[in-house]
Amino acid sequence: MKLDNMFKKNRLPESRKTVRRKGASRPEVPEGLLKKCNMCGSAIIAEEAKKGYYICPKCGGYFRVPAYVRVEMIADKNTFEEWDKEYPIRNPMEYKGYEEKIRDLQEKTGLNEAVITGKIRIDGMEAAIGVCDGRFLMASMGGIVGEKIARAVERATKEELPVILFACSGGARMQEGITSLMQMAKTSAALKRHSDAGLLYISVLTDPTTGGVTASFAMLGDIILAEPGALIGFAGPRVIEQTIRQKLPKGFQRAEFLLEHGFLDDVVSREQLRERLSAILKLHVKCPQVEAAEKETENESRKKEIMAVKIQKADAWERVQISRRKDRPVGSDYLQMLFSDFVELHGDRLFGDDSAVKGGIAFINGRAVTVITQEKGKDTRENIRCNFGMPKPEGYRKALRLMKQAEKFKRPVICIIDTPGAFCGIEAEERGQGEAIARNIYEMSALKVPVLSIVIGEGGSGGALALATADEVWMLENAVYSILSPEGFASILWKDSTRAKEAARVMKLTAQDLLERGVIERIFPEPENFRAETMENLTKDMKTEIIKFIEKNCKKLPEELTEQRYRRFRRL
Amino acid sequence: MIKRLLIANRGEIAVRIIRACREMGIETVAVYSKADKDALHTKLADQSVCIGPAPLSESYLSMERIISATIVSGADAIHPGFGFLSENSKFAELCEKCNIIFVGPPAEVIAKLGDKQAARNTMAEANIPVIPGTTRAVYDVQSGKKAAQEIGYPVMIKAVLGGGGKGMRSAETPEEFEQNFITAQKEAANAFGDNAMYVEHFVMHPRHIEFQILADKYGNVVHLGERDCSIQRNHQKLIEESPSSALTPELRNKMGKAAVRAAKAAGYINAGTIEFLLDENRNFYFMEMNTRIQVEHPVTECVTGIDLVKAQIQIASGDVLEFSQKDIHLSGHAIECRINAENPQEDFRPCPGTIQDMYLPGGKGVRIDSAIYAGYTIPPYYDSMIAKLIVWDENREEAVHKMQSALGEVVIEGITTNVDYQYEILHNRKFLNGDVNIDFIEENGKVILQNLE
Repeated sequence: MKLDNMFKKNRLPESRKTVRRKGASRPEVPEGLLKKCNMCGSAIIAEEAKKGYYICPKCGGYFRVPAYVRVEMIADKNTFEEWDKEYPIRNPMEYKGYEEKIRDLQEKTGLNEAVITGKIRIDGMEAAIGVCDGRFLMASMGGIVGEKIARAVERATKEELPVILFACSGGARMQEGITSLMQMAKTSAALKRHSDAGLLYISVLTDPTTGGVTASFAMLGDIILAEPGALIGFAGPRVIEQTIRQKLPKGFQRAEFLLEHGFLDDVVSREQLRERLSAILKLHVKCPQVEAAEKETENESRKKEIMAVKIQKADAWERVQISRRKDRPVGSDYLQMLFSDFVELHGDRLFGDDSAVKGGIAFINGRAVTVITQEKGKDTRENIRCNFGMPKPEGYRKALRLMKQAEKFKRPVICIIDTPGAFCGIEAEERGQGEAIARNIYEMSALKVPVLSIVIGEGGSGGALALATADEVWMLENAVYSILSPEGFASILWKDSTRAKEAARVMKLTAQDLLERGVIERIFPEPENFRAETMENLTKDMKTEIIKFIEKNCKKLPEELTEQRYRRFRRL
Repeated sequence: MIKRLLIANRGEIAVRIIRACREMGIETVAVYSKADKDALHTKLADQSVCIGPAPLSESYLSMERIISATIVSGADAIHPGFGFLSENSKFAELCEKCNIIFVGPPAEVIAKLGDKQAARNTMAEANIPVIPGTTRAVYDVQSGKKAAQEIGYPVMIKAVLGGGGKGMRSAETPEEFEQNFITAQKEAANAFGDNAMYVEHFVMHPRHIEFQILADKYGNVVHLGERDCSIQRNHQKLIEESPSSALTPELRNKMGKAAVRAAKAAGYINAGTIEFLLDENRNFYFMEMNTRIQVEHPVTECVTGIDLVKAQIQIASGDVLEFSQKDIHLSGHAIECRINAENPQEDFRPCPGTIQDMYLPGGKGVRIDSAIYAGYTIPPYYDSMIAKLIVWDENREEAVHKMQSALGEVVIEGITTNVDYQYEILHNRKFLNGDVNIDFIEENGKVILQNLE
């Protein structure tokens, strides 16, 4: 049954139909109350989005954030002190209408130029900040933008402040021609001096970061973060499409794409950005007050030596098998037990991000250290993601990048080793697996900060040494460290990989064998039924020893350190 | 004066509001989702605006779309009905900003009473008995457990932003507390996007007694007596009556005065309901205040003769209440049964579908508020309540007989309903004796179901 037009509507007197509420104003949506989301097209209450993080409540997409609002999102309340607020307009090419355009934008946006700079505090920690504002000629880098950034960086260098730059730009400012191009060199050069002074630069890439800005200050951060979904690239997608006459894949040049390709340390949601910046700054505060290592040192270490003696004689092959057990604690378990406030950093800045190697900065006993672990993963899915603990060249290159960063900030490096070996495959060779390992050994041998490596499971050949060219190498009771897997050894020497058991015995690959040969310095006994749940006592001892190692070696001069490392390998 | 009113709701309540407007000479604008193209409210209104696809978030819960529809249709007021946006203070605030009359209390009052904890504190200050409980929101099991110990078991765990029984669990022991707190909190986070909880003493076997109030903009507040809504299943009401057989005139007077005091303390304007729990010793405790028209408002209308929806619209227009407390007299007895498209024998699973044929009862003292008609297809996206059967007679006994007779006449073909289940409740001896509390269904539900077979 259709009810259409069955019901009689009320008969309204003629007068009622035309007369509207008099005096009282009619209902209307005030200007700007409702806005259309430019990503999903839904009508949204603008104020709601503005009260929050400029995120569309309907699709979760990110709106671009005005510079002063961004400062408010990041800085402690009322701590922003603006630098170089007013700058006279320059028109280096005497481009027609340019000055009027700028003046018009100044009026519209309340900004003087496309970037604001100054000083803020984040959780009490001071930092120089620069924020680009896309509303101003797409935050293209004209002379004043470059000048303000360079000046802020110079001042930060002088005042020994970290720098945080929020990039967002269409690239160069065409109206200023070659002057605009030169800003790339100017800003980069200022950042080089800042970096040479041992200071921290965090770059935060927001939508969109392209062209000359990407190819200068945006990509030079010690740490580069990006907002989810941000377009980041040198050439714009439209230009690329027109040039190669191909449609670009979905997600191309987005933040997640760059993370996967090794160019970002992380993609951080807008809600978490302030917290992340604070954590990073905290890890870079100079000269932390390091508490003296706990008092139990004497007693404890004696006890340990006794325990070390107690290590049971087990068959080498048995140890090999134990070292490969699936339920053995993995790198990230140690990361969690030994360190706090870990901030993971991704990517090799060359090609990719290898999940078989995890790296970042963390605290141990109040001191910031760089931690690099080899990861096997805990279940099949993770195993596959981590390539069963077999790093690719990009894994080693990420490790090296982080170690060089540690050197710059004078942080000790702790490596946790657990790998069957470096990945053996076509793409690994294409990208120079051998070169990557060699480069790591070469650079680590002369790294100017203390380096400690701990073999927690398998120490597979060059794949392990690439993270173990250290001042000291420690091993767990049932960890192994060898030139090759026993299977490989048997197959090369005896042409029979089934004789692995026999090979394990002659290879001298157990911790005990290696301690006797001076290849390693220390053994940690393992509890029975060694799993993540039962590792606490072990990691407690290990932590004490790591702290002692750091305190001892941090007192040494860089030359002493490198000399000691040189001698350590020279004698073998 | 309101000339054209948009109803931001669907189903029987939308129809109910349209009827009030038709009688008052106010033009009506219905909004509907694509799934409600053939719904009764869509057909009955003077004009109808489609506001989106079936999902609630894209239609009846989309503030932006409803505001736009209001402006486009030239309406000057919105009636939110119940559920949906009716108790959303942001929506009320948006209406205020757009110069649209919101038929309900001011946004700030909704916000204040929607925060259950703040509401309890307000009431306690106004000298209205509240159930002993936490005065601040609780976020973790341990502090909740500590509070429970202090309050004394059994306790009730509730979501601060809760409603409709979601995010609500009782616990009799600390062990039970731990588990139920976590479940309730998860539910709250999912349903309301907020995991703030509170814990209060669990009143054993209480009756659910609520008082209807009306308050105008000029500080006049009256109460219209109580409704006894003790017949509930999983905190969803099934049968409501007025008056309650548990109240003496003295107690009614006392509770009514408390209700008026509560409304005044909250700065309330428009129609509202103060919910109390009444324990076996006739102690009553404030539970919460609902800032909307309620499903069960017709029973109050029957015993007072006041049209609550019209009163709502008049108050929103700025009229002064036409009556004071001494003009309010409860006469006779009214009962309402909710008729839902659900299958009691399959754990009350909703049963949407097409109504092939139907016959509904009538006669003196029988009222039907519904949104169904023969040939109507009940969409699966929304609430399963399809009709309300309300009867009125001189006293409870006669009203019960009338309801028994009326339920016996209801025929709805093509879908499964709870009519027979209601019919069984109406014949339950305890119910007939008025010996009910909110555990009635939990304790007698099985027997009722057995009788159905």
